[in-house]
Amino acid sequence: MNPEFFNIISHSNKDIDPQKLMDYLNNKLSDTEKHEIEKLMAESSLINDAVEGLEHIKDKGKLQAYVDQLNKELHNHLQKKKLRREKKRLPEYSWIYFAIILILLLCIIAYMVIRQSIH
Amino acid sequence: MSTLNFVNKDSYSHLTDQELLDRFYADHNNDWLGLLLERYILLLLGVCMKYLKNEEEAKDSVQQIFLKAITELNKYKVTYFRSWIYTVARNHCLMQLRNRHGKSSAAISENLAAPVEETAGENNHMEKDHMLELMTNSLAELNQEQNQCLILFYLEKKSYQEITENTGFTLMQVKSHIQNGKRNLKILLDKKLNKSS
Repeated sequence: MNPEFFNIISHSNKDIDPQKLMDYLNNKLSDTEKHEIEKLMAESSLINDAVEGLEHIKDKGKLQAYVDQLNKELHNHLQKKKLRREKKRLPEYSWIYFAIILILLLCIIAYMVIRQSIH
Repeated sequence: MSTLNFVNKDSYSHLTDQELLDRFYADHNNDWLGLLLERYILLLLGVCMKYLKNEEEAKDSVQQIFLKAITELNKYKVTYFRSWIYTVARNHCLMQLRNRHGKSSAAISENLAAPVEETAGENNHMEKDHMLELMTNSLAELNQEQNQCLILFYLEKKSYQEITENTGFTLMQVKSHIQNGKRNLKILLDKKLNKSS
């Protein structure tokens, strides 16, 4: 019996190579390579939905530009979020510095008062 | 780690989604999320296109899904990222469609069924030979179209295009016969497994 039978009921969480997917959409793959992508589609609802959706984009040449744009916006957003978080942290640090200076000053004053009282 | 070096981000490509998530939960550095989410840009764009059928709306939706993911991942621990992000994307698109068409669309409620992912390994406990025998019997019980498409696709490794040429079915019919065939095969297998246990 053919062990390939098991593929029929399997679900896959395998990653799909974005470049292979682009080539599939542009009909640049061999039959064997096409079959590999289609097997992933048949095993994963996410990949199947994604491929069916991407097939609706008429000008496939735009796809890479869309991906680049979304990638850039994602990282810009994350960078902004990070800067905001760091800005929030600054006042916390300034309080720490202020507290250290205050403690040092108090120590110096205390030292001077004790020294004067001894004399 | 304060900032990941994105010039060398390929050096993180060997990390699985789960490893990236674990690293994020360990130090809450959003750069890990960036690496994780960028893997899904093309897939999410495709999912949004499938539901919304509009390129600009799909791009906006991907951005909104990312914002939601970043917020939610900072609040909760997610275990199966792939299934989770797919569900977030689907729900977002369905909400968009609802806003567009109102709440009465039958197609939308039909689509609300949970996606079937992450069930791999459920039959690992079965002995292979017994399973193969049950599968062969179940496959023979499917209708002719589903049986033919499953055999051509899985056993003879034909592409969708080749199957359309061999059978005369349209591409949509081929996909449908494969999907329905798989579903029916599982139902038949479950019945047989329940009987035998």
